[in-house]
Amino acid sequence: MTDYVDAGQAIPYMQLSAVKGSAPATGNVDYERILDARSEPQNWLTYYGTYDGQRYSELDQITKENVKRLSPAWVFQAGSVGMQSGSSTYSNEASPIVVEGVMYVSGPDGKCWAMDAKTGEELWRYKHASPYDVSLCCGNVNRGVAVGHGKVYMATLNAHVVALDATTGEKVWDTTAGDVRAGESRTVAPLLVKDMVIVGSSGGEFGTRGCLDAFDAQTGERRWRRYMIPKPGEPGSETWPDDGEAWQRGGANCWVTPTYDPELELLYQGTGNPAPDFDGAVRPGDNLYTDSVVALDVNTGEIRWHYQCTPHDLWDYDSTMENLLFDAPDGRKLLAHADKNGYFFVLDRTNGELVRVFPFVDRITWGSITPEGKVTPKVYPDEEGVPVHFWPGPAGGKEWTHMSYSRQTGLIYIPVQEVGATATRRRREFKESIPYWGAGVAVDLEDFYGFVSAVDPLTGEEKWRWRNEYPMCASTLATAGGLVFQGTPTGQFVALDAETGEKLWEFQCGSGHHSSPSTYTVDGRQYIAVPTGWGGWVEGFLPGLLGAGAGDSLFVFALPEY
Amino acid sequence: MTTTSGDPSAQLADGLHRQNSTGLGRLLGGGGVGHADEGPDGKMTATIRIPEDELCFEPGTLILPHGGDLELTLINDDKNTHCAVLPHNGDPKFIWLVNHAKGTASLNLDGPGTYYYSSTTGNDEGRGLTGAIVVGGEVPDEAKLDRPPQPRP
Repeated sequence: MTDYVDAGQAIPYMQLSAVKGSAPATGNVDYERILDARSEPQNWLTYYGTYDGQRYSELDQITKENVKRLSPAWVFQAGSVGMQSGSSTYSNEASPIVVEGVMYVSGPDGKCWAMDAKTGEELWRYKHASPYDVSLCCGNVNRGVAVGHGKVYMATLNAHVVALDATTGEKVWDTTAGDVRAGESRTVAPLLVKDMVIVGSSGGEFGTRGCLDAFDAQTGERRWRRYMIPKPGEPGSETWPDDGEAWQRGGANCWVTPTYDPELELLYQGTGNPAPDFDGAVRPGDNLYTDSVVALDVNTGEIRWHYQCTPHDLWDYDSTMENLLFDAPDGRKLLAHADKNGYFFVLDRTNGELVRVFPFVDRITWGSITPEGKVTPKVYPDEEGVPVHFWPGPAGGKEWTHMSYSRQTGLIYIPVQEVGATATRRRREFKESIPYWGAGVAVDLEDFYGFVSAVDPLTGEEKWRWRNEYPMCASTLATAGGLVFQGTPTGQFVALDAETGEKLWEFQCGSGHHSSPSTYTVDGRQYIAVPTGWGGWVEGFLPGLLGAGAGDSLFVFALPEY
Repeated sequence: MTTTSGDPSAQLADGLHRQNSTGLGRLLGGGGVGHADEGPDGKMTATIRIPEDELCFEPGTLILPHGGDLELTLINDDKNTHCAVLPHNGDPKFIWLVNHAKGTASLNLDGPGTYYYSSTTGNDEGRGLTGAIVVGGEVPDEAKLDRPPQPRP
């Protein structure tokens, strides 16, 4: 036999593609610039567009009058090679960041791209190698990146946080943030505040101890960590059993990006469900700080106040979803939070005082909350082996996908899910990395619907709703063009009149929406960008569409140039 | 693999790990288990071969004691052309392996966990040319949760 043919060195796979390899350097994005993000609506600088989480853009080129002419400008299709974890559950959940014509967006399975925001040309790509066997409760997903200090920050499925060079995609630093053997992962979009990157934990269905971390943006060194389950003796520990181990695996993960008030220097983090989700008998007490809005000092991670939306949760009612900051006409600093439990909370964000609470869904059977905030559980799985049906189901009246606030109308636009579920308590022992629910759960396969609800947060009045056959499982986006954009589970991307809810335009993207659209301009032309791709925890929020086609595209729309 | 002569179901089970026997290809996840060697600098090395007409990587499962850098040698002893798309932080690595070829791949992987790779030409992946690199070990102490040791399965 002759000598072996020299096959050489393996090369980066992207060399066999049209990826350009570099992105143009943009102006530096730093804390001061993100603070004033509203003044440069041509860019979408941070996860929610602005620190307050309003998901509102001052761009008004696309209007109620001309939106019917909105057309695709370009489409990006990611694709995949080989075997990936949760290969039947991947979903595009991100919100694209745009800086001076360069778009940065993440996808499932550790992928991140820089693209020309005008043409869709792939400028660079990064893929973090993700273990096939990592514990994922809710799919192979990632909700986005943070951009600043010349870097792109991304959390990974195997609980790392990486910083990439914004012009090349090369890794600058890589910090192990969590323990995959304990069932931890990271799926959240990081938030850049000052010289820190804020990243919360995922792993709520595996009995972890939820936490929020702040990392040095330049080095990746951890500055502080705040556990959301207190140890014995710490404030809040009295809400856990004295003699038990429940606190060690109590949950309260932080898998949605916090909002931030720079004047108060407070982060507003929603926390996840207690563990086990449905078996409360092993964790008597209110179980702080699960299912809570938690205000933390951004400099130290100290908890300044908290408000618990579902004490002693028995329905998997995370409160991780966003805390939208807005001010009342009298200047009072408020916070709006539409919880999984079906109630909409308005809090004074300086101290956590309840201002008002009201239901935003049609069907609530698990219990009730009075206008004064008194919580009364009514229906819950407390007897072993006995099925209990309740509304909303464990994905909630609204899950993590975000509402938006129009500064024109003063209304908040909530994507609402009307889906119930049946849980049957089944006690189990805890083992690291194994799901720790304490029940069998079947979400309803029928009798569901959804709507976009336009709510006045100052009164609780619903001004209009746009009803849909299927629940709303994607974020809304409000613009100064008087529009609200919403993706549906069946692939339509629609534009609604922000004042009336009338549908003015729609486009079929070919796969369901479970992401957060953003908007920007390049050379004076306004674009709307929306990742699409049905997936994630579909069995939780809409199992009636488990068989729908998946996808992993990014659609970008604009008005025709001629 | 133990085969009982004359036992049809045992013969069928044995055929799971051969080409065009019980199934059309061989079942994924078979093959041998190998271990990477670790040098004094912590870098790891290993060799994987593609045997003739077996459409598999051998060892089919390569175990690394921990995450880090792996220098992998790939040898195609088959009389057909294959390739490998290999896991690597930053971007997968690709190598084309014509018949009777030898090459290398420098890989960086976090630990712990299982990373699959495959030959992505034709349906090599389905016929059996899908291998696993399994990274053992624990995450750094500073990344672990502050709680007492917990039971594992």
